[in-house]
Amino acid sequence: MGLQEWLLLAALGALVFLDAWPVGQTMLSRPIVVGPLAGAVLGTPAEGVFWGAVFEAVYLGVLPVGAARYPDAGLAALVGTVVASHGGGEETAAYLVGVALAAGLLGDWTSGFQRRWNGRAAAAVRSRVAAGDLGAPGRAIAVAVVRGALIGAAAAVGSATVALAGLELVEGTVWAGPTSRSVLRLAALAAMVVTAGRLFLERRSDRLAWTAGLVVAGGLASWASAGMGS
Amino acid sequence: MTVVPRQGSRERRVVALRSVFLQSVWNYETLQGVGFAWAVLPGLRRLHPDPAKLAQRLLAHLELFNSNPYLSTIAMGVVLRLEHEVARGVAGAERRVARLVGVLRGTLGALGDELIWAGWRPALGAAAATAALLGGGVWTAGAYWLFYNALTQAIRLRGVTAGFASGAGIARVLQDPFWRRTAAAARLGGAAVGGAALALGVVLGHSGGGWREAGIFLGSVALLGLAARPLGSGGRRLSPALAFLALVILLSALTQARAGTAP
Repeated sequence: MGLQEWLLLAALGALVFLDAWPVGQTMLSRPIVVGPLAGAVLGTPAEGVFWGAVFEAVYLGVLPVGAARYPDAGLAALVGTVVASHGGGEETAAYLVGVALAAGLLGDWTSGFQRRWNGRAAAAVRSRVAAGDLGAPGRAIAVAVVRGALIGAAAAVGSATVALAGLELVEGTVWAGPTSRSVLRLAALAAMVVTAGRLFLERRSDRLAWTAGLVVAGGLASWASAGMGS
Repeated sequence: MTVVPRQGSRERRVVALRSVFLQSVWNYETLQGVGFAWAVLPGLRRLHPDPAKLAQRLLAHLELFNSNPYLSTIAMGVVLRLEHEVARGVAGAERRVARLVGVLRGTLGALGDELIWAGWRPALGAAAATAALLGGGVWTAGAYWLFYNALTQAIRLRGVTAGFASGAGIARVLQDPFWRRTAAAARLGGAAVGGAALALGVVLGHSGGGWREAGIFLGSVALLGLAARPLGSGGRRLSPALAFLALVILLSALTQARAGTAP
């Protein structure tokens, strides 16, 4: 990767970290969006779309409720797409998924770090406002946003560097865990089915909607598949 | 006659825009407190020209606050409405503000969890990911992002106005059938996508590699489903991400065994 790609990756890492919870939460940080964005930066948007969808399915049921801690799904998708864009893909499927999930855990740790630092900043804000400094909250927010952007950029560049170094070691070995794209697609669909079942099947109307989706999509897909076969 | 306080549309927009930074200083002591206080600061400045009083009210709003980031603008509107009473020196107004914010924190949080975090977001994510896995292009990401923000940012922008217009009578807004119906619609959509993904997995597997691949798909659903169940009574679930990694390793071993490359 050239310097320009690394810089764009760092900017994307900053955006992913900030959008995940500190600023806006427009879901630019969801894997389904991060994958194509990272793919576009690296010139492989199709890889980004596929791996973004895979990690969206994996992290679909992780809900940011209350003060819960959760892995950084966006950073996982970013690192997964970087590995796929460098020849990883399905030839190194298990390695790619493993290293991406590790990046997700790193993202959880960096969020905790930022939140602990914010705790000190919030205490300082209260003291300053009590002393009559009404600009303190705004300055604390500006500093936290800049710090978050730097943390996100460093986490993205650092984890992508480690992932690519590891890729060189495992590529072509049994540890890469190769499989086919069609099998990976089925695994991601399976993850989605399980999460959707856990999240959405509460009432009778939900079960009816599930059955309707099953029958309609099954019928259409069978018809399309028979049409292609004939 | 009760005079309804006025709030300019510019101030509403500014407060809604500032709410974007609600969680920037999120911390384990006051959670969203700093972001909440900073968001309502323009309104507080207008209502409390005396710097000492303004600092006192700002400090009050720097206390603990935590709610859904999109629906929290409703609480901001309510606070700005009730701060008029504080500015007029109505007896007990400060206590009323604190009590109502405490109630709204939990209510808006629960509403947001059901509507957004456990409804709208996963339902859209499941639909977009299914479309992308079936060969959809970059448009799936764009459509996901647009649909997600059409609801959430509209709530964010209109929340201040709704909260300000209702004040202490905000319960009426929160009991509006819109919230329940939208959450139910998201859940129904998510369930339909789940059913569709199940059918598509079987058909794709069968058309790609016969009943063996369809069986691999159904086996994967069963394995991930088992992993999602608590281990023992009251035990912990295996993380879905770790379960997925274990599944990919297993599938890779199967692929390699089939190709005769296994050690």
